[in-house]
Amino acid sequence: MSSKRIAYPIFRAVMLTVVVITLVVPFLWMVLSSFKSNLAITDPKQLFSFNPTLTNYETVFGVADFLPFMINSLVIGAASTVVSLIIGVPASWVMARYQMTKSSTGVLVARIIPTVSLLIPWYYIFAQTGLAGTYTSLILAHMFVSLPLIVWIMLGFFEQLPIDLEESGQVDGLTPIGAFWRITLRLSTPGLATAGILSFIFSWNNFMFALILSSAQTRTLPIALYNFISYASIDWGGLMAASVTITLPVCVFALIFQRYVVAGLTAGSMKG
Amino acid sequence: MTPPKPVAQTASALSDFANKHRKYVLAGPATFFITCMLIIPLGFTVYLSMTGASGSVSRNADFLGLANYAEILFGNDRFWPAVWRTVVFTSVVLTVEMLAGLGIALLLWRTFRGDSILRVIILLPLVATPVAVGMMWMLIFHPTIGAANEILSWFSVSAQGWLSDPRQALPTLMFIDIWQWTPMVTLILLAGLRSISDEPLEAASVDGANSFQRLIHVILPTLAPTLVTALLLRAIDALKTFDIIYATKGKGGGSYHEAETLNILAYSYSFDYQYYGKASAVLVLFLIIILTICCVLIIMRKKQRV
Amino acid sequence: MQLKKMVVALAATALLVPVAACSSSTPKDGGDQPTLHVALPTHAWTNAIKESIPEFEKVSGIKVDLTTFGEDQLSDQYNVKLNTKSKDFDVMMFRPPQDGKLFVQNEWLAPIDDYLKQADAAYKWDDFLPATRDSVTVDGSIYGAPLITEQEVLYYNKKLLASAGVNVPTTMDELEAAAAKLTDKGKGQYGFLSRGQLSASVTQFSSFLYSFGGDFDNGKKATLNTPEAKKAYEFYGRMLNQYAPTGTTEMNWIQAMPIFAQGKVAFYTDVSSLSPNLDDPATSTVVDDWGVAPFPAGPAGSHPYNISAWALGINAFSEHKDLAWKFMEWATGQDMSLKLQQKGQSLARASLYASAEGTKGFRDDMIAAIKSSTAAGVAVGHDRPLVIKVSEAREIIGKPIVTGIDGGDVAAAIEEAQTLYQKFLDSETKA
Repeated sequence: MSSKRIAYPIFRAVMLTVVVITLVVPFLWMVLSSFKSNLAITDPKQLFSFNPTLTNYETVFGVADFLPFMINSLVIGAASTVVSLIIGVPASWVMARYQMTKSSTGVLVARIIPTVSLLIPWYYIFAQTGLAGTYTSLILAHMFVSLPLIVWIMLGFFEQLPIDLEESGQVDGLTPIGAFWRITLRLSTPGLATAGILSFIFSWNNFMFALILSSAQTRTLPIALYNFISYASIDWGGLMAASVTITLPVCVFALIFQRYVVAGLTAGSMKG
Repeated sequence: MTPPKPVAQTASALSDFANKHRKYVLAGPATFFITCMLIIPLGFTVYLSMTGASGSVSRNADFLGLANYAEILFGNDRFWPAVWRTVVFTSVVLTVEMLAGLGIALLLWRTFRGDSILRVIILLPLVATPVAVGMMWMLIFHPTIGAANEILSWFSVSAQGWLSDPRQALPTLMFIDIWQWTPMVTLILLAGLRSISDEPLEAASVDGANSFQRLIHVILPTLAPTLVTALLLRAIDALKTFDIIYATKGKGGGSYHEAETLNILAYSYSFDYQYYGKASAVLVLFLIIILTICCVLIIMRKKQRV
Repeated sequence: MQLKKMVVALAATALLVPVAACSSSTPKDGGDQPTLHVALPTHAWTNAIKESIPEFEKVSGIKVDLTTFGEDQLSDQYNVKLNTKSKDFDVMMFRPPQDGKLFVQNEWLAPIDDYLKQADAAYKWDDFLPATRDSVTVDGSIYGAPLITEQEVLYYNKKLLASAGVNVPTTMDELEAAAAKLTDKGKGQYGFLSRGQLSASVTQFSSFLYSFGGDFDNGKKATLNTPEAKKAYEFYGRMLNQYAPTGTTEMNWIQAMPIFAQGKVAFYTDVSSLSPNLDDPATSTVVDDWGVAPFPAGPAGSHPYNISAWALGINAFSEHKDLAWKFMEWATGQDMSLKLQQKGQSLARASLYASAEGTKGFRDDMIAAIKSSTAAGVAVGHDRPLVIKVSEAREIIGKPIVTGIDGGDVAAAIEEAQTLYQKFLDSETKA
């Protein structure tokens, strides 16, 4: 019995160490490479012993000028999240309260569809309405991902929220919408934070929409990454520094809001 | 009953209307948005799939009816292999992710010192930008300058082609997907495990069940709905995997199309070959496949709950 | 409570930022200073011209807005945007051999014949290398100004050659003998390398094909199974199968060049424009050891391709075509060409290679190689089939190459490719 009690923690420690190494080492490698010159990267002998350099980061923020792309990613991520919250949260509330399964399924189809099929029609519509390449078109495109995500998360959240408080509010003379606004929403801060944070991360990481829909002024970070692969050369050091630059903020962000990210990723699984 | 408060009494006609039709007023904008962004483009894609549109969509194209579908289903040498690869990719990746995810979740189930740090680390692959992750692995798996081969050489294992070897490309991509998404399964299952009450487990222990028996007879049945949900969420994304394949293998998925899944095939047909008609037909078929799989999983999920 | 405040603050900034951004995102066209939008790939030429843009803006009063994309991403952009008749860009850099026919057929490019007629005498259209002028001409109209020229050349590693006492080969037979002698796989040393990836290999294979006396087609009929073509396929496949590192079937230049740059390969055939990478001590250990020679002669002589890899064209939907031409005239004119050539570009003007000034930045052996391969009667003006749907054709033609590299049944693969390619050509002429 006692040997078993010791054995399991050891087994657990060994297994979890393996897991952590597998998950973390690639990132460390990326970070390490971002401080290497290209010659050091291409020379396997300089795996660990090399002269660290900041040149790659100078390229990222100098020649490649990543700052505007960062601002674009931030603007598009924040705006699509906020607008999606504004129209998505009330929608998921009525869907949850009145069991509007058809509408909620409809919204979820948006999560399932392969987005390649939407790109050309979207671009066509945006071009006709003069929105092509603007922030508006990208925000709308990103909302196509954030809105279903937010509805999915909030649907689960509202279903779990006891209905009694709302009802007692209505008894006190509040209209149903009033009860939602004054009571339910105030209790929903964790849910809202979860939905918003996750939606922002998804937008930050999105590649395909901006690949097709952005213009020079509205390009986001994942597309800018390709500036390091040019017609006749590939700048590995710069590419890795750029990858770190893109990944680091979102990782830090996720770590700060860890609780909400986890709640969002696991949302919907606990329902029913 | 207490008399209504003055605040509510001032409700204007507008708010009366809004409250009366709250279903439509509140759900309206979201539904309208999704409809515009989804139904219209989808209709356009279905229309394109029945034409010979190629080169440029604004040029006049012949209406072909179902000819594109017939060609793709019966006369195309890239469609079925792509279906096969999509299915293999998804099923292998899901199996490993579910098993590994469950394993890690079980290890993390009971709290211990430092487990919160682990739960933070586990988040990293999930939130990292997929294109950047693709670039990172492209360097690590580079056949001549990559770290993977260098590490193999320490153990006197000869250099592998990884992403650049037609036989290894898809397995390598599976590895990357597993690396990135197992944590998601872990987190979902961990949440599920934490909500299992102790009583049935203790009862089982009292009955003399060992850990393995408890896992099979108590934990897994209770966890089943969560497992199916994790499966559903992952299946949707795994079927549509795009970013890492595009970043590492490009359009067409390699010399033998060895990494060409349905999504990549559709992308190459649209943006490399400019066969918009054919590409749209592939997309419609792809959508039908995804919807079928999702419906099956959703039905499974409903059954688990009853 | 803390969190609630933060969410509110976040929401407020998120709402304000796009409002500010939207107002600035509307293009500032009109007014007295029009803006010209130029779409470019990430390319050394792009970097070189960037520095001179302010000069042009000052002289012309036109504001220039450059957008750069990776090569693949740029073609994705064109596909989506021009499909919807976008006016997002006025001047577009494109790849005549790859995109030319398709873009013209789709009516995405505006012809520039009239502009050329009115152009300043100093512009000298006739100065562009004949093969490059051909490559931007479709059905008698001119659709672009050639920028970068490329020829296939033979790179070699002086050190490896000297150590084995091997001379620089001038024929295919000598090349194979030398490659065999220099291959020592146990030591990680290889005799030969070239692109082997399905689609990417076709362009580098083309010079072999021509030098063996073959071509892809004769305009109407596929000619992949002629005795000459068969020999070329077998040769290329065998060279990469026996004397190259493993994994060449997935190699574009991105994967192949670093292996040569690491000094592991004796001979490497690829485009001349890759040479700056070999001179860069940050990526290359062969800076002092690499040499370059004209493409070796096959049974039909030495016939490398000489193409205009990139050209500038005008978007057919552009509303600023005249300004676009002004920019093109400036960017591809005599003065700017000389300036950019001196920064290491190999441009399409013949005069640059005739003058000491134009060849200042080049090594002697590179100049010799370029001169000999651009000579009349030697160079072939295409490095891939002259068809509309180039991507599809390349994947058909590349199949026997890949089969050969992997040691499969090349003869059978050639027959299959011949049939498919004929079918493809028929469908193109019908359309």
